Parts: sequence; C-alpha cells; structure tokens
Amino acid sequence: MIYINAFLTCGIICGIGQIILDNTKLTPGHLNSILVVIGALLSFFGIYDVLLKIAGAGASVPITNFGHILFKGAYEGFKQDGITGLLNNILSSTSGGLSTAIILAFIVAIFSKPKN
Amino acid sequence: MKLKEYQKIVNKNIKQENKIFNALISFLIGGLIGLLGQVFVTILENKFYMPLSECYMYLMILLVTISSVLTGLGIFDEIVSFCKCGLIIPTTGFAHSMTSAAMDNNEEGLIKGIGSNIFKLTGSIILYGITIAFFLALLKGVIM
Repeated sequence: MIYINAFLTCGIICGIGQIILDNTKLTPGHLNSILVVIGALLSFFGIYDVLLKIAGAGASVPITNFGHILFKGAYEGFKQDGITGLLNNILSSTSGGLSTAIILAFIVAIFSKPKN
Repeated sequence: MKLKEYQKIVNKNIKQENKIFNALISFLIGGLIGLLGQVFVTILENKFYMPLSECYMYLMILLVTISSVLTGLGIFDEIVSFCKCGLIIPTTGFAHSMTSAAMDNNEEGLIKGIGSNIFKLTGSIILYGITIAFFLALLKGVIM
C-alpha cells in the first residue's frame, strides 16, 4: 500500500508543478523556491510528518522535503538549546545531501566541458 | 503590417505544446521516482537495519549522485526536456541545476567561473529555505 501512496504523492506534486509551469510565467527556480517554502509551512503545522508516515519516500523525494528537514532540524535544536541550538542544527539533517551535491557538482564541473 | 496582426500570425505558427500530455508525463515520471525510492528505502530498512531518517538521507544522496553524473555526461538535459517537472521537482532537479551552473562557466577558472556561479540557480532555494525555516522554528519555539 505504501508503494501506491508513494507513487501518487510524488506524482501529484510533480503534475501540479508542471501545470503551474505551463500556465504561468514562473521559471523552475521560482517553482522550487515556492515548494521549499510550502514544505516548511506544512512542517510548521505538523502535516508533513503525517505525510511522510503515509507516503514514505513519495514525500521524501520532492524538494518540499528540503524545507521540511530544515524546519525540523531548527525546531528540535531550539527545543534542546535555545537560539544556539537553532543556529547549530538548522542544516544538520540536510547536510548529507547538500554536501554531496556541492562536492559532486565541483568534481563534475572540473572534468567536463560544456556543450556550445 | 500592424503589430497585432503580426502577433496573431506568430501565435498561429508557434508549436503548441500539449499541456495535458506534459502534466501526465510529469505525473508518471515523478510517481515512478517516488515508487523506486520507496523500494530502495524498504531494502535499506529491512536488510541493513538502518533508522528511517538515515534511509531518506541515503536516498537523497543516491538521487543527487545519479543526476550529477548524468549531467556531467550530457545525457540529463535531454531527459529533462522530455520529462519536465517529473525530474525538476524531485531532488534530481536540485543537483542538476547546481551541476549545470558550475559546468557552464568552468572555462573562466576556479574562482570566477565555478566558485561564483555554482549557486547561481540553487542559491534561491537554499536562501529562502533557511530563512523561512529559521523564522518559523523561532515562532513555533516561542509559542509552544
């Protein structure tokens, strides 16, 4: 059942994104920024944790998850250690994906030549 | 010829993209990535006994690695132009735009080329993500 939920959740988010992109003047950059903000807001109201439980990786793959884990890390840090914990933990759970993306982008950029 | 008439002729001859087909392809490809991701997470959880949050992190790393390497080989641009949002909205799109921004300017050198352009497209995602997460967490922490 969780496989069907994962398929539907991720598919619906991508489908809605494509409809927005086709019918407005927004670029993919705008769309991704809006989705990150939406993810943080959903996490703020406690909806995203429920979504992760129902859909599993279907909710974890889209970029909305980036906003969710940023908020979650920041909030848990604030509960432990106040403002110090917030600033220390805000990037803690995203760090894995973000560092991999930066390091690989650098390595790939050094060894490749752009097509003209 | 007046500008409006010219615009009409342009609109007539422009190739109309099928919006329903685009949305359907995005839905199917996005759903497929979610489904395969769930298979990967289930395998990690049941065979390697990892906690769930680590499984999601490794899934993110896997997607980022695949899309970065394929972007470097020049294959990913063609796949994205067919799949559209099905690959832009998952984490693959994030890695793709970061890698291609770095790649496009690598002729200008390490600092002015790669260094100052690597966050050109993804910078907005990181900026607004961190800013909104900071203020929302502060708000929720103070209220609760």
